[in-house]
Amino acid sequence: MDLEILAFECETATDVVCTPPFVNELFETTTVFTVFGVDVNRAMLLMIVAAVAVVAILFFALRKRSVVPSKFGSAVEGLLTLVKDDIATGIIGPEGTKYAPYLISLFLFILVGNLMELTPGINFPITSRMGIPIFLALMTWVIFVFAGFKKQGLGYLGHIVWPKDVPIALRWLVGIIEFVSIFLVRPFSLAVRLFANLVAGHVMLTLLLVTGYVYITGFSNATFNGVFGLMWWVLALAIFLFEAVVSILQAYIFTLLSAVYIQTSVHPEH
Amino acid sequence: MTEIEITKGAIALIGYGLAAIGPGVGIGILAGNAVQAMARQPEAAGMVRTTMFLGIAFTEALALIGFVLFFLA
Repeated sequence: MDLEILAFECETATDVVCTPPFVNELFETTTVFTVFGVDVNRAMLLMIVAAVAVVAILFFALRKRSVVPSKFGSAVEGLLTLVKDDIATGIIGPEGTKYAPYLISLFLFILVGNLMELTPGINFPITSRMGIPIFLALMTWVIFVFAGFKKQGLGYLGHIVWPKDVPIALRWLVGIIEFVSIFLVRPFSLAVRLFANLVAGHVMLTLLLVTGYVYITGFSNATFNGVFGLMWWVLALAIFLFEAVVSILQAYIFTLLSAVYIQTSVHPEH
Repeated sequence: MTEIEITKGAIALIGYGLAAIGPGVGIGILAGNAVQAMARQPEAAGMVRTTMFLGIAFTEALALIGFVLFFLA
């Protein structure tokens, strides 16, 4: 991206001085190469890189089984234990071990995708393109609906649209609300939560870093503006740390909510 | 940018601000009560923390939907 043009695209003739770029320009990616007539853009390439990175992390961490694992191995084992014990069996119950592989791959893929926001040279979180969160959310949707039908048969739908523990006059209304909230709102809110957090972080970091850059390079009074530009970069550093926390937390929350949704269709009473 | 586009953007900004009030109050109450629960029963801290994150995730969704609608408007 050409930063000078981005910042100094100004019309001096009219009263409106600068036209700020539209936010979508931060998330548009160019085509890198074409394979068999399919254009592969930067986000798709990074998605493949993230998938390969997850496989590589798991392979290299757990390749050698020993009593005392290496430092890297024990760090990855800590993450896997967190997902398997706290999320899978902790929330779903003993049946959770069946869903643990899905939850672990979900967690690691989202984590790597989110941390790409902070990786120098990449600086683009793939989860800030709606396609990836909505696909992951729909995968969770398919799994919890399938688990519900497998566990309870058609009674799964029956419990939702005709709840027995509600007074009979209100059953149709509660049924409609439950149906909409479980089958339509759940995947949407799951996807939007991840997407919007990463979009906000990416926009915030871009604004701070570009403002600092423009301050330092753009104006004539070098010392004065240099000090202000460095202050913008210090603020950007603080936001960097905050975004690292947000990236990890959002991956955790996506996995946690997937587990909770699976749990509600496996154990309907709670 | 025409006049009407600028007005639309300004109204969308106000809408996002309004959408952030409720979740802000909600997350404040939630985190405050979670801290109180952890202080009273430190041995239950792990369970309380998980439940707190769940609650924050559900509450936060409303503000984030407002944020997305601001960009869509």
